[in-house]
Amino acid sequence: MKKLLVVFIGLLVAAAAVGGQSPGGGAEDGPGLGPTVAGPDFSGSWRPQQLVTESQTAAGDLADFGGIPLNDAARLYALSWPASRQTVKQHQCMGYVTPYFWYAPANYRIWEERDPYTQRLVAWRFYGQIAQGDRTVYMDGRPHPPAYAPHTFAGFSTGEYQGNTLTVTTTHLKRGWIKANGVPQSDAATVVEHFVRHGDTITLLAVIDDPVYLSEPLSKASLLVRMAKDPDAWLYPCDDSEQIYGRKGDVVPNHLFGQNPYVREYADRHNMPLLASLGGVETMYPELVSAVRDRAAAESTAKARMMPSGPPAVSRAPDPTPKDGEIHTMRVSGDVYLLAGDGANIAVQVGPQGAFVVDTGSGKLADKVIAAIARLSAKPIQFIVNTTFRTDHTGGNAKLQNAGADPSLTGTFFSMQFRGAGSAATIISQLNTQVHMLQYNLPTPPSDTFAEDRRRKYYNGEAVEAFPMPNATTDGDSIVHFRRADVIVAGDVFTTTEYPHIDIKNGGSVEGEIAALNFILDRTVYVHDEDGGTLIIPGHGRITDEWEVAEYRDMMVIIRDRVQALIKAGATLEQTLAARPTFDYDVRYGATSGPWTTNMFVEAVYTSLKNPPKIEDAR
Amino acid sequence: MKRILISVIPMALLLAGTLFAHHSFTATYDTGKTVSIQGKVVQFLLRNPHSFLHVTVVNKDKKEEVWNVEWAAAGQLTGTMAGTIKAGDLVTISGNPARDPADRRLRMVNIRRDGETWGFREGETVN
Repeated sequence: MKKLLVVFIGLLVAAAAVGGQSPGGGAEDGPGLGPTVAGPDFSGSWRPQQLVTESQTAAGDLADFGGIPLNDAARLYALSWPASRQTVKQHQCMGYVTPYFWYAPANYRIWEERDPYTQRLVAWRFYGQIAQGDRTVYMDGRPHPPAYAPHTFAGFSTGEYQGNTLTVTTTHLKRGWIKANGVPQSDAATVVEHFVRHGDTITLLAVIDDPVYLSEPLSKASLLVRMAKDPDAWLYPCDDSEQIYGRKGDVVPNHLFGQNPYVREYADRHNMPLLASLGGVETMYPELVSAVRDRAAAESTAKARMMPSGPPAVSRAPDPTPKDGEIHTMRVSGDVYLLAGDGANIAVQVGPQGAFVVDTGSGKLADKVIAAIARLSAKPIQFIVNTTFRTDHTGGNAKLQNAGADPSLTGTFFSMQFRGAGSAATIISQLNTQVHMLQYNLPTPPSDTFAEDRRRKYYNGEAVEAFPMPNATTDGDSIVHFRRADVIVAGDVFTTTEYPHIDIKNGGSVEGEIAALNFILDRTVYVHDEDGGTLIIPGHGRITDEWEVAEYRDMMVIIRDRVQALIKAGATLEQTLAARPTFDYDVRYGATSGPWTTNMFVEAVYTSLKNPPKIEDAR
Repeated sequence: MKRILISVIPMALLLAGTLFAHHSFTATYDTGKTVSIQGKVVQFLLRNPHSFLHVTVVNKDKKEEVWNVEWAAAGQLTGTMAGTIKAGDLVTISGNPARDPADRRLRMVNIRRDGETWGFREGETVN
């Protein structure tokens, strides 16, 4: 079946060679300078051809997934999605990922960015009016960022001329829509776009390769038509707020598996078999006709596809954590840096007073962590916050503490009583983290604790707040907010690599986890359309902004609702596991082996809901 | 009021395109149905791209519930409707109901108050 796609791309390239407007660039590239001669000129104001947009975008009908090679997980994700999800605050101003970006019925502008000194082409810029999508396509040969860098709705794009075709490769995309009737495109997707200009028309072929939600690459075509006159309408203001009066923060509308009331609407209206509207690889090819000839059999197959089935799935998204035995440093914002590579993520804020460290990693690379911090700050590590007691967050405590100093204690009343006061960094945590470290004989527990109230410091000219997150993954979690840099270090309350490690034995709970995620979301501000602004360093995985936290919160609420419904129906733990309430998320977060499997997570949710701890409001 | 009609109808046409772009009406609302509610305005929130009017309605069980009415962008309504509709106003609203009844949500078609009507579809009269 992939042959068809190959043929399609081949035809496009051939068409470009024969009919493309401009000759290709032929000059040699200088290293890092980009091509000296541009290919076709795409500059101008454009509109998409309306016929194309209507079949591909939000205008699409509910449960109309035909022709999309979505996998079983994506199908159930889409069937669980009601349009009412858009009333949730973080969804109201959601941005558009590419290639969905090109299907908004509004204005587009394309222009060049040239080096003012060499006139070489640095980048193409694509701007879309709806959601004010603003893309930069680098043509200067720069590499894509590391996997632990933030993702955006625009993604990170690089381009090159292939004859008369501009080919653009985009990575670092957020989770967005393939079609805004619930069909997702994951944050692991890579999109390759081919642009060919013929006079006042641009033909665009986009190929989405999504290991999480697609069974095979999906190609989408579009036509952009040049506008004779440059329009003056280019902006799209969007502010979110309450839409549904009085709705609580832990409500995320969703359909339980098999209970989408509109699943047949599109198929019935067009008198087509339900199987054809549910999508999948087979709906892309003519063989579907014979597959649905027996209507009864097709109906039976369709019904089966509306429920979880098949072998257990594991995450298909690459783990962004470096595993080369080195510590990788990335500036996040302001004076806050991410140190990745030694277990859990480490955050460091530096300045004239010293270094403020959040979590210390597994300790296996502690010497390299200390060296990396020393490259950022000539002053010692003064404060360390442990966001949890887990050893992948606290394993470096001893070495980092001893490598630092707390001059706020040296020479004080306390140093008269304790000779060592101030000779090492001060480790701070929520009280229960210290209790658990002592309980489990973990080395170097915190010496400075807080319980219900926040611990605050004004350090390096910046307000720093550590907030307890009661009964989230444990009863000792906390998050740290660097307010000037506007970076939140979330600890294991939020990761991009696995289901939250809800540790029931040590006080974790699903409701506390949801409350903690909502607490983070109450402190975040985006720049525009759920992009940028407050940045989040998760316990594990890549840097994000609020969008990924909202997605994670949504997932937790939806899985909670499913497990709660099963409990209400009298399901045992075994029956709940068999129902696979995480099915559509397993391809992104699931595991069948290792320290935190999908089944362990489902069991934690089930147990938490059956015997909920008393949850205090996150402060 | 005629001026409002003249200004509102083009606004509604523009609105249709705008909302169509950001989310699907057909997915969100049952555009084939129109229902009417009557109640008191709780609050009128002007913002972009959609403003929201929240209205307390007494349901058939004689209990109060708040309905959520989606309206045009602040940029489109500010000049004509800001300060016109106020908390406490008794209004009657016709609109397309949300597919999810739990949302108690309407897409505004027209709104009446004290003999005044603001309509948003071609051919509707405005007092």
